[in-house]
Amino acid sequence: MTTAIIQSAAISKHFGSATILNGLDWQIMPGQVIGLLGRNGAGKSTLLECLLGLRETDSGAVRIYGEDVSQLSDATRARIGYVPQKSDLFEWMTPRQMLAYFKALYPRWNDAKVDGLLARWGFDKLMQNKAISKLSGGEQQRLSIIRALAHDPELLVLDEPVSALDPVGRREFLRELIDGVIERGTTVVFSTHILSDLERVALDLAFLKDGRIALQGRLDELLEGARRVVGPAALLDKPLVGELRRQRAQDGTVSVLTCGGVGHGLPAGTAGVRVEPLSLEDLFIEVTQ
Amino acid sequence: MTNHAAHLFSIATGSSEPIYRQLVDQVKRLVAAGQMAPGDGMPSVRDVAQALALNPMTVSKAYSLLEMEGVLNRRRGMGMEVAARAAPAQSAQERAELLRPTLERAAMEARQLELDSDTVLSLFIQILKEQA
Repeated sequence: MTTAIIQSAAISKHFGSATILNGLDWQIMPGQVIGLLGRNGAGKSTLLECLLGLRETDSGAVRIYGEDVSQLSDATRARIGYVPQKSDLFEWMTPRQMLAYFKALYPRWNDAKVDGLLARWGFDKLMQNKAISKLSGGEQQRLSIIRALAHDPELLVLDEPVSALDPVGRREFLRELIDGVIERGTTVVFSTHILSDLERVALDLAFLKDGRIALQGRLDELLEGARRVVGPAALLDKPLVGELRRQRAQDGTVSVLTCGGVGHGLPAGTAGVRVEPLSLEDLFIEVTQ
Repeated sequence: MTNHAAHLFSIATGSSEPIYRQLVDQVKRLVAAGQMAPGDGMPSVRDVAQALALNPMTVSKAYSLLEMEGVLNRRRGMGMEVAARAAPAQSAQERAELLRPTLERAAMEARQLELDSDTVLSLFIQILKEQA
């Protein structure tokens, strides 16, 4: 039996009176490439920070590689790479200095990879010796990604890694993720709003809503299994097979989201009822609103 | 015999059809249309993954399905090739399956219009005759 790399049990987090995480259980298995989705403010960053022990939880427990996240050993830390949504640290340093500083902290550091990425991602001599605070948002984000990949982590956690990158930069990042990370069997957890990128690389999806993982599954299976069933309330009064949620419009039409319910429990071709497949964007809206 | 390049493929994100499914259907159509001939070499999983910026698992899932369905063969050594059973040898039933996605869409629209099966079928027969 394979054991989970990250195991979170009933973690909760409140900011003042606001509940951000509400008894959340989640597991990340080795080799998974999993996209974390949720609306703005759903708590994706908080969740990722709690999972990595960067933020204390109010209750519950997180274990990474079997260790309590509040007391990770250096050896385990060295297996993890993290790209925060926004990093304000080390702004006075130059990229060169910052990378040298981190190199000293890690037993394993891939100089060839770092040099290759710096060259491919446009960090010439001039830029490598400029203060990080003087770099653009996109350049800072690339640097943060290079730093996270430099020690060939076995677990890579990325929080909106491409939010500041243009489409070319995003594509370059995806290619690096595919070639240098996923091909090595690295476990990847990332949050993003760019669904087209997610579709290209993620094999699993998890939706964060109301402080819990509301829906999780294989991307392919979710797309193939998810259907929107729309029709008059009288025909859709009973719960459907695989029903996730239902909504009633003002005109009395009911719209039901089902997942994996073959046939939906309706007689085939019930007149007046429409069954539609969903794109990832439709699914995002249906699950998270 | 040709060795096909990874740029042969194109995929669309934002579709309700998973990407591996799009790849499978694309290969089937190219084979059925004769653009891919028996013995032709397929681009490697890695090349396709790089060219289209896709997770390699998605590409290998598509290739495995195509192998299971007899469209592709695994070459001794490395890589995949188009199977010897060429397009003309495909049974009518198999070729008809390729029409399924289009017909499913038509069926959905027919239901939206609340048309009964007889009306839809007679229209389809009429269209087939017009095209013949």
